[in-house]
Amino acid sequence: MNQLILICNKWQDYFPITDRFQPLSSWLLCFDFFGCVDWMGHQYDVIVVGGGHAGTEAAAAAARVGAETLLITQKIHTIGALSCNPSLGGVGKGQLVKEVDALDGLCGRAGDWAGIHFSILNRRKGPAVWGPRAQLDRQRYRDFIQSELLSTPRLTVLEGSVEELLVTEPNPEEPGHHRVTGIRLGTQSVVLTTGTFLSGSLFVGQTTSPGGRIGDAPSSPGLSHTLRERLGLRTGRLRTGTPPRIVKDSVDLSLAKLHLPDSHPTPFSFLNTHTHCKPEEQLPCYLTFTTPGVERVVRESLQLNCHIQQDTKGPRYCPSIESRVLRFPGRSHQVWLEPEGVTSDLLYPQGLSMTMPPDIQLRLIREIPPMRRAEIHTPGYGVQYDFVCPTQLSPALQVKSTQGLFLAGQINGTTGYEEAAAQGLWAGANAARWALSMPTVTLSRTESYIGVLIDDLVSRGVTEPYRMFTSRAEFRTSLRPDNADLRLTPKGFEEVGCVSSVRYQESLRVRNSLQDALTALQALFLSTSSWKKKLPSVPISETKSTLLTGLDLLQYNDVTFEMLASAFPESLSSYMEFAQRLKIEAVYKPHCDLNKKEIERIQREENMSLPQDIDYFSLPVSLSDEVREILDRVRPSTLGAATRLEGITPAAVVNLLNYVRVTEKKKETHRNQRHQEAQRDEELCANSASLPQ
Amino acid sequence: MAGFTQRLPPPRTALLRSITDPRSTEVLDRGLVLWFPAPRSFSGEDSVEFHIHGGPAVITAVLQALGSVPGLRPAEAGEFTRRAFQAGKLGLTEVEGLGDLIHAETEAQRRQALRQMSGELGRLYQDWSDRLKRCLAHVEAFIDFSEDELIEDGVLNRVDVSVRDLQAEIERHLKDERRGERLRGGVQVVIAGATNAGKSSLLNKLCQRPAAIVSPIAGTTRDVVETALDLGGFPVLLSDTAGLRDSSDLVEREGVRRALERVEQADLTLVVVDSAHLPSEVDRAAAFLREHLSSVLPDTGRCLLVLNKADLLPEKQRQKLDMELRGVSGLPAVCLISCQTNEGLKDFLTVLHSSVKTLCGDPLFGAPTLTQARHRAHLQRCAAALAQYQRYRDTDLALAAEGVRVAVTSLGRITGRVGAEEILDIIFKDFCIGK
Repeated sequence: MNQLILICNKWQDYFPITDRFQPLSSWLLCFDFFGCVDWMGHQYDVIVVGGGHAGTEAAAAAARVGAETLLITQKIHTIGALSCNPSLGGVGKGQLVKEVDALDGLCGRAGDWAGIHFSILNRRKGPAVWGPRAQLDRQRYRDFIQSELLSTPRLTVLEGSVEELLVTEPNPEEPGHHRVTGIRLGTQSVVLTTGTFLSGSLFVGQTTSPGGRIGDAPSSPGLSHTLRERLGLRTGRLRTGTPPRIVKDSVDLSLAKLHLPDSHPTPFSFLNTHTHCKPEEQLPCYLTFTTPGVERVVRESLQLNCHIQQDTKGPRYCPSIESRVLRFPGRSHQVWLEPEGVTSDLLYPQGLSMTMPPDIQLRLIREIPPMRRAEIHTPGYGVQYDFVCPTQLSPALQVKSTQGLFLAGQINGTTGYEEAAAQGLWAGANAARWALSMPTVTLSRTESYIGVLIDDLVSRGVTEPYRMFTSRAEFRTSLRPDNADLRLTPKGFEEVGCVSSVRYQESLRVRNSLQDALTALQALFLSTSSWKKKLPSVPISETKSTLLTGLDLLQYNDVTFEMLASAFPESLSSYMEFAQRLKIEAVYKPHCDLNKKEIERIQREENMSLPQDIDYFSLPVSLSDEVREILDRVRPSTLGAATRLEGITPAAVVNLLNYVRVTEKKKETHRNQRHQEAQRDEELCANSASLPQ
Repeated sequence: MAGFTQRLPPPRTALLRSITDPRSTEVLDRGLVLWFPAPRSFSGEDSVEFHIHGGPAVITAVLQALGSVPGLRPAEAGEFTRRAFQAGKLGLTEVEGLGDLIHAETEAQRRQALRQMSGELGRLYQDWSDRLKRCLAHVEAFIDFSEDELIEDGVLNRVDVSVRDLQAEIERHLKDERRGERLRGGVQVVIAGATNAGKSSLLNKLCQRPAAIVSPIAGTTRDVVETALDLGGFPVLLSDTAGLRDSSDLVEREGVRRALERVEQADLTLVVVDSAHLPSEVDRAAAFLREHLSSVLPDTGRCLLVLNKADLLPEKQRQKLDMELRGVSGLPAVCLISCQTNEGLKDFLTVLHSSVKTLCGDPLFGAPTLTQARHRAHLQRCAAALAQYQRYRDTDLALAAEGVRVAVTSLGRITGRVGAEEILDIIFKDFCIGK
């Protein structure tokens, strides 16, 4: 039995909803009666289940695309909660945040509002791998997301828990294929973003209890049951964990290394010129290290730690302190002490995720010098949860066997806020398009990290929680954080419909200005000696008596756009706001040009779609049983995805290519025939009309 | 086709048939014959396939016989695909796809290459590939994790050393002066020298047949005479050239130009000198030869000095010369021979054999050599990409890493495919990564 609460979608208040919230009405509604309920006279196009990073982006994106959207979450006041670390972005993850922002998503602007410590990681390693990152104030982040959602037109938020999914009986012509019809509410599309809540269980020491997050119940077992038994989806189990939260006053921070933020915070969002937090008001982080005592405590308490003994796959790159010391014994490991917010009196010890009993957790942290007398506010714990093997999804994140059902976030085997937000946005936009009878859209791995993420998930699947790294992107030098708006905003507006026209116009202005500036740079065509006169401080080799353009010059290490603009103010000074972007464009241009050919090849392959209903076992082309089995299991949606599968031979790809061509041709001929017939009919009609009566 | 085999086999059935020349009715080969009546063939036209034995003699004979049939000509490059496209058998994208498969380095090519490349060479490339992948993994780890993690500072320095070593090794391998390719294609040996020194006689001696016309008249050979021979197991392409002299005869001048061109392209030049032209004072011979060499060879590349007509020298002078010219600095190996009496010929063959052997390298010994131009191209790209790493190492690690990535893929095109997951696996094996 669930309490259902409806929130008016015109709520435009910045204060936490819970303070002001007056339930409009409450029902004791058992989600048990059959049929579609037209909720308060509303028919929703899209229903999003879950209010985490994936769910909020999904709901907002679906509404932006134009769908009447309903977001259902267990507790409205936990919408936008940062369940684990109080930070956003980083290397690889920061790229995702920039891309979500370029598609008009929420998390970039929320980060700019809630950030209290901004830094660009990898600052010295080149702009392609810069990692924009911020420590966040948990409360501010939540407030921003909640107020954004409440002011989003066409979006309604409902508090409740989803018992099960309604799906049609399988189509007798295509066994195993369903269509989602609702969750006891009439709808066209459903986006599930269950996070760690799907059959979630919490682990502390030897205690196991059902739950998705500390203090929150897991999602209904009925939901897992529908996915597994009714829809026949393959699921797996993953685990993750979170560290204990430490009382700040009990920590001697003078024993840790002070880590200051950037003196000029860089906002995540392309729309923001500055962050909400003033530079001087930013809070520091602290760095400390584990001692041999930590390892001793871990080893002594192993038998009391049932989470660590389970062989469920945990993230290799976000391991618990237990797995860190067990995998790399005898070493000292980093621990970051991060602020939880401006007014919070807690610290978040990043790197100390642990699942041992609370008293041993206390013993462990006290082995670390600044925390000798530390007190734990909330103990760390582990979570195990179900995920749906993502190879069962299309690149639009739609379940292949169930029309209208979309999945995003940890339910697809990923970890991290940014990965969840990116999938949420894409699933939400596609769910809306599906509901509004528009074709779904895909992002290529050649144009975005979101594309890399989704392609990796749906064509390779996961064996452990998936996290984004810059090394996963083949075209890293082209997919930079600085140009995410150029790559995605126009497409987001023109093809997807998830970008506002204000943002679109701004991206066009930026694109045109950058283009004009590059043209102006190329128009500066001088001999090396003239350049030397103009820029005496730059070591320009005069041995080559060639002519150099301004663009060539900008590729020099020591040359900045500002220097060129002051030498040629008349042609360049109007582009000063893009000085940094132009410098990056100039340096990366030759490398991006080299990438282009390979990108085009991949895009060509990605444009050849493989019909989702192929029966690979009876396909009349020459394929080995092994290859047929792989193709049947993964069901790649394009030829490009098929080529990247392990075990798919080039011969198989050629045969598939032929098959695709032949079937397309047949379809085309068929279409043409019908077209011709129609034309003939029309002509006949016209002729008969013109016949003398 | 009926003229080539006794009976037309049923369509799309491979049958063993004798293949005969329609003019002479001579049996050329026995092989599989298939025919595809239009439109069910690759190009949509009537097609026939002869599966014959691979020897050059058989192939040439069959091609010649085919060429004698009116209306038949060899296909141009890509003509079959083009015809298939025109007949609507292939779409444009398909043609492009096929082209990509044929030209771009497909997995198949890579696998095939890998299969061909058994043994030492494969192991060498695999070793490089493994080391490069490790370098890449470490650079990637440094990029993706060093801000948050304990990636020791030394990591990048170790990568620097590895990249430098690898680049040097690959460049050394590339500087093998085409030894492996030479072994596959034959060593170019050119006989050059003044007119009437006995160059053509030498050619005939070496190939043991009168391949070139020999006469006492200076300027008999006017064009390049080529012959292939097997020298102790090594393939040699031997060319006899026109004698070098200023001539007013247009034809002879062209011959001299061609001779010089050949010398320039040669792997080994045999400079033939008429012994009778040597100065009678033996101690001045070395200086004379040095001067003579510089007039024949643009730069002193690989060459052997052959003093012919030794039989015309008095025995005493011959012995003194032999002593005098042995191991003189600034001179290549000198052989005193006589094509007339075969004197010194055996020793000369030994010297020639060892020179050719050095040029090819011993395939069974030492570092394996490049055998294919395709491999060379990929290795060159690989070495250039490693140079990019060095160039950007201190200013932009993303671009430096891009260099290593390109290097890994270039090498991967020879040895097999490299995926991002593989790199991540190395990262996680080597580092303690935590968020």
